[in-house]
Amino acid sequence: MMTSTAIRIAELVPAVPPVPVAEVVEATSHWWAGFILWFPLISLVLCGLCAAFRVRSKLPAWITIGSLACSFVLTILLGNAEDVPERILLFEWISMEWLGGSFVANFALYIDSLTILWMSFVTGLGTLIALYASEYMEPDVGKGYTRFFSGVSIFLFAMGCLVMGDNLLMLYLGWEGVGFASYWLIGYYYRRPEAVAAAKKAFIVNRIGDLGLALAVYLIWATFGTVQYNELMTIIQSGDFSEVYEGWSVKAIPYLLMLAAFGKSAQLPLYVWLPDAMEGPTPVSALIHAATMVTAGIYLIARMYPFFLLEPASLHLVAWVGGLTALLAATIGMAQYDIKRIFAYSTVSQLGFMFLGLGVLTTYGAAYHVFTHAFFKAVLFLTAGAVMHGFAGQLDLRKLSGLRRMKGWRIVAWTMFVGCICLAGFPFTSGYFSKDAILAEAFVTQGPGFQVLGWLAIFTAFLTAYYTFRVWCRVCAGPVHYEPGDELHDDDHHDDHHDDHHDDHHGEHGFHPHAPRFAINFVLVVISVGALLAAVPYFMPNEVEGIKGGWVADMVHGSSAASGIPGHPDHPGSLSDSAHGDGHAHHGTILGMDPHSAMYYISGVVGGVGLLLAFWLHLWRRQDADRLRSWLLSRAWIRWLPVAMENKWYVDEVYHALVRAPLWLLGHVFHAFDRYIVDGLLVDGTSRLPRLLGRWFQPLQNGLLQSYAVTMAGGAVLIVLMMVLMMQFFQGGAVQ
Amino acid sequence: MTEKLIFVIPEVILLAGVVAVAILGLVRSASLRSKVPWVAMLFITAAGVSIPFVFTDARIAESTLLLPGLGRPMGLVSCVVALCLVLMTVGRIDRRYERAIAAGRMPFDPLRSNRGEYYVFFLLSLAGLMLTCTASDLIWLFLALELTSLPTYVMVAMSRGSKRAQEAAMKYFYLGAMSAAMFLYGFALLYGATGTLELSAMRDVLAAQAADGGIGILAVVGMMLALLGIGFKLAAAPMHLYAGDVYEGAAVHVTAVLGFVPKAAGAVAFMLLLSTIGWFDGTPLPLPILIMLWVMAVLTMTLGNIGALLQRSVKRMFAYSSIAHSGYILVGIIAGPGLGFNAVVLYLFVYGLASTGAFAVLASLQRADREIEAVEDLAGLRQKHPGISAAMAITSGSLLGFPPLLGFWGKLALFVAGVASGHVVLVIIAGVNSAISAWYYLRLVGLPLMSEPTERSETIDRFDAPWARIAAIGLAASMVVLPIFLAGIQDETAVERPAVENNAVSMQDSSVQDEAAGS
Repeated sequence: MMTSTAIRIAELVPAVPPVPVAEVVEATSHWWAGFILWFPLISLVLCGLCAAFRVRSKLPAWITIGSLACSFVLTILLGNAEDVPERILLFEWISMEWLGGSFVANFALYIDSLTILWMSFVTGLGTLIALYASEYMEPDVGKGYTRFFSGVSIFLFAMGCLVMGDNLLMLYLGWEGVGFASYWLIGYYYRRPEAVAAAKKAFIVNRIGDLGLALAVYLIWATFGTVQYNELMTIIQSGDFSEVYEGWSVKAIPYLLMLAAFGKSAQLPLYVWLPDAMEGPTPVSALIHAATMVTAGIYLIARMYPFFLLEPASLHLVAWVGGLTALLAATIGMAQYDIKRIFAYSTVSQLGFMFLGLGVLTTYGAAYHVFTHAFFKAVLFLTAGAVMHGFAGQLDLRKLSGLRRMKGWRIVAWTMFVGCICLAGFPFTSGYFSKDAILAEAFVTQGPGFQVLGWLAIFTAFLTAYYTFRVWCRVCAGPVHYEPGDELHDDDHHDDHHDDHHDDHHGEHGFHPHAPRFAINFVLVVISVGALLAAVPYFMPNEVEGIKGGWVADMVHGSSAASGIPGHPDHPGSLSDSAHGDGHAHHGTILGMDPHSAMYYISGVVGGVGLLLAFWLHLWRRQDADRLRSWLLSRAWIRWLPVAMENKWYVDEVYHALVRAPLWLLGHVFHAFDRYIVDGLLVDGTSRLPRLLGRWFQPLQNGLLQSYAVTMAGGAVLIVLMMVLMMQFFQGGAVQ
Repeated sequence: MTEKLIFVIPEVILLAGVVAVAILGLVRSASLRSKVPWVAMLFITAAGVSIPFVFTDARIAESTLLLPGLGRPMGLVSCVVALCLVLMTVGRIDRRYERAIAAGRMPFDPLRSNRGEYYVFFLLSLAGLMLTCTASDLIWLFLALELTSLPTYVMVAMSRGSKRAQEAAMKYFYLGAMSAAMFLYGFALLYGATGTLELSAMRDVLAAQAADGGIGILAVVGMMLALLGIGFKLAAAPMHLYAGDVYEGAAVHVTAVLGFVPKAAGAVAFMLLLSTIGWFDGTPLPLPILIMLWVMAVLTMTLGNIGALLQRSVKRMFAYSSIAHSGYILVGIIAGPGLGFNAVVLYLFVYGLASTGAFAVLASLQRADREIEAVEDLAGLRQKHPGISAAMAITSGSLLGFPPLLGFWGKLALFVAGVASGHVVLVIIAGVNSAISAWYYLRLVGLPLMSEPTERSETIDRFDAPWARIAAIGLAASMVVLPIFLAGIQDETAVERPAVENNAVSMQDSSVQDEAAGS
């Protein structure tokens, strides 16, 4: 199958491709870039003041929206002004120097096009989703409203540090900051035990990944002596690190970074926190757990791409973990009934695609998919949120139907449709182009089993199209029918809000779903238009010669991830390329065709088939779906499959048995130890100890002046005598 | 001579403040009398502001002082901490007497009023500390050290009406006098061995001796006695015994002063004296002195921490923990000029703020107009006083050296200096000691925040005047905020500033060779 000229990652070692190095611009022309970070911080402070003065209006929302919008505008201005990577010093933070070493981490921004790409959708979507939340969180005005928006502000500040930081310590600060914000916001409904449990789960699972990041930062500093990107990239660029390159630490760094990325971006084996994180308010799910924070792992690997190229096997692992996570999450997503959970698993699955892209040497594909996914997944979550808001928390797709025929719900139904076709990769939508950029490269790049991985990914794409439209056909199409959820929290008449108060007398009959109003509808329309327009950058002419893929490729080109753009002169594949002097001959093939053009047809067909299957089973002949289900469940040999999928492959249960239960046991052992040995023996022992010690020290610490004086003078004399004797003994009276 | 006069301008300002405060404290008008602490703060601020103008880079470069770079950072650090120390006393001194006057139960009697006196003694002590930094000879050093200590004896005595304060003051005074005798004897031996009182000249003589076969036993013993005697100011073992009784006996605002001012003066004197006998162009300290410092450091840290573990009284616990901090400071002093001294000054700043904060927390609480005593009194404090309990937690965390807080960076700088100068074992011992100290510091974090209030702690109320509370919360906030400006603080507290190029280079060399010698 493979031609002899296929790209081998292994061949490129140790020729590490050059990466752009930031010019050190000391906060002159673009000093105002710091305000991209400061605006969310200002908003946080103002929200805090609102809380202190018990503001009972929507003021915190408008403060947050306003400052995030300012950040967004500044990001766009910065994107226009920036042409070379540069460094903007905000203030000096940590600089410690000693002989033979130093640790310098300033509060500075590292601005290159990758930063701008990320910040543009982070701040842009942040603003819009905050606007959405201003209406969505209405029932909580005066209660948790301020808390919610300060959480969003903290998140944006931390995400800004993570993406724009000039060094790994700032990245770490942001990394922990977004983790904290995520914990804060998942546990927003802190009266609900599930929300608290989910918040803790997210935080604890992320600890594992964060440990990897901490170790990676330490190893990078220990190996290269710096944590600043520009210096690291200079060292890598110079290629003058052959001694350290041989060391185990250089090989370990990418795996540790990977662990961090898999934790934050919910990949195998650490993905389990993300589906549970849907306990948070829906705008949070859309912003943090779909569009922005979970892509931090992809950003980390893209930013640190040269380190991964030093250890090619790590990229193979990234590809396989990404591909398998995508498949696993898609199969689980097929069998769930909770709309938000389906979208959550779909997020895990799509993040898997992005990691697959990074693994098969297309940072461009990964970044483009991050960009498009941010829009369409945000739309999907926001529509789910609108449904949840209007139907009293109802999210079961069996209990909702025919939304598009209901008054006031058309915008929700059709924006969800837009999100769905993008996610399903329907031809000529944004998701179609970005997904193809990854899938095709899986067949182009040669690696262990990448062909198999490519077919698995295509199969996953088929499943994606199916489960996406399963949701839409069930919820938005078909006859009108609905049951309210159990959170009849607010009918716009009540002024006494009780979060957990369930009015039984409202029942099903008196229930009127309240359709979303202006803010939600406006945001849905804007973001879904954005999701469609996200296809446009693909067709923009490239300013940089020799690469394809439009605007996003240009953006990636200006950064440390540049060598992951197919066609880039420094792309690892180009080494063999130049040897053969032909731009396309080296490609792997798919069914004997060029992967790039073949993928347009394959993925189009696959997506179409999945979509038709969903329409057949869930819209045109819904009874067939039930019949298929009962057929599957009645056959012993196939029965396990739907059951396992519905139960999420029992991963949580396995973790419970293998990790949580032993830890729980260990915890109790420690507790018993603490209680009986430490408290019982040691503490009671130490309470006896003072008396024991007292007998020794009593002559010394008896409060008597004379004995203090004697002890002091005696001690001094003793020391001096000892030293004098020692001097006499060793040196005969003189020192040195 | 003019140099000396210029360098004491900040102290002159403080002395002017002494006069102003002394007079103002005796004024009949109660509202004017209540302005006394603010006037004291005004003069401290003025002294602090004058420091950058007095210690200009050019003057420091030309100075013949032994450690010319010490005056500026230590002066700034002293003034900043002193401002906090004064702030927490506002409304405390003479409060019962003033209340009685306001209620008309007593007439105003200048002989009984000691509000003015308290600030007079405080300003004098502060001036002593700042004079220590610019000491050029042994006489000056002795006088400056005694100017630092003498007022504190009186402050302890008059701080509370109770007999305990007077007992504490007596102990403090007699033991202080004994230690002064000890280091004065050491000074005499040093003079005998070198024939000079000038510190710079002494350094030259001793350097010549060292190059010429070795420093004589007279100088080494003199130095040892001097260091042991001054160890009293630092509360370093074996001269630490007084600390528990005195800290506990004095009123809390005086304890806070004892925790910083004499300690800082002692550390400065250590740096000055040791610079005369070692670190000449890269030589290490004479071995006996080095060993003695090691023993002192290890004993001080360990005894301090173990002592603190066993205490029930909060003030006694802080007394022992401040002994332990002296041990950490000794690590920085052993590390020597350059990194070590910079770290010592930084640590004095960090520790001064945190310990003042912790004492301010204690000062902002009361039970029936009396200070709180037992650690258990803090249990469940968060329910009634969330701000104060948060301040307690943060300042304790900072004293422990909990990572993002300011205390961590101070400790880190000390330990980095220790490792860089080759004293890895000492740093490990200090690290273990830090871990031990977690036991009691974390208790101070946990008790107010996590325990349930007990019957006893229910009766705790906050102090009438808000200033101690404001100081506590402000200092706790600074523990969180200041690390952001760490680089700037390190710059300001550096003993060796870039302008002193030659000096800095030779110091650098010396620590290189220290490292070689240490390893």
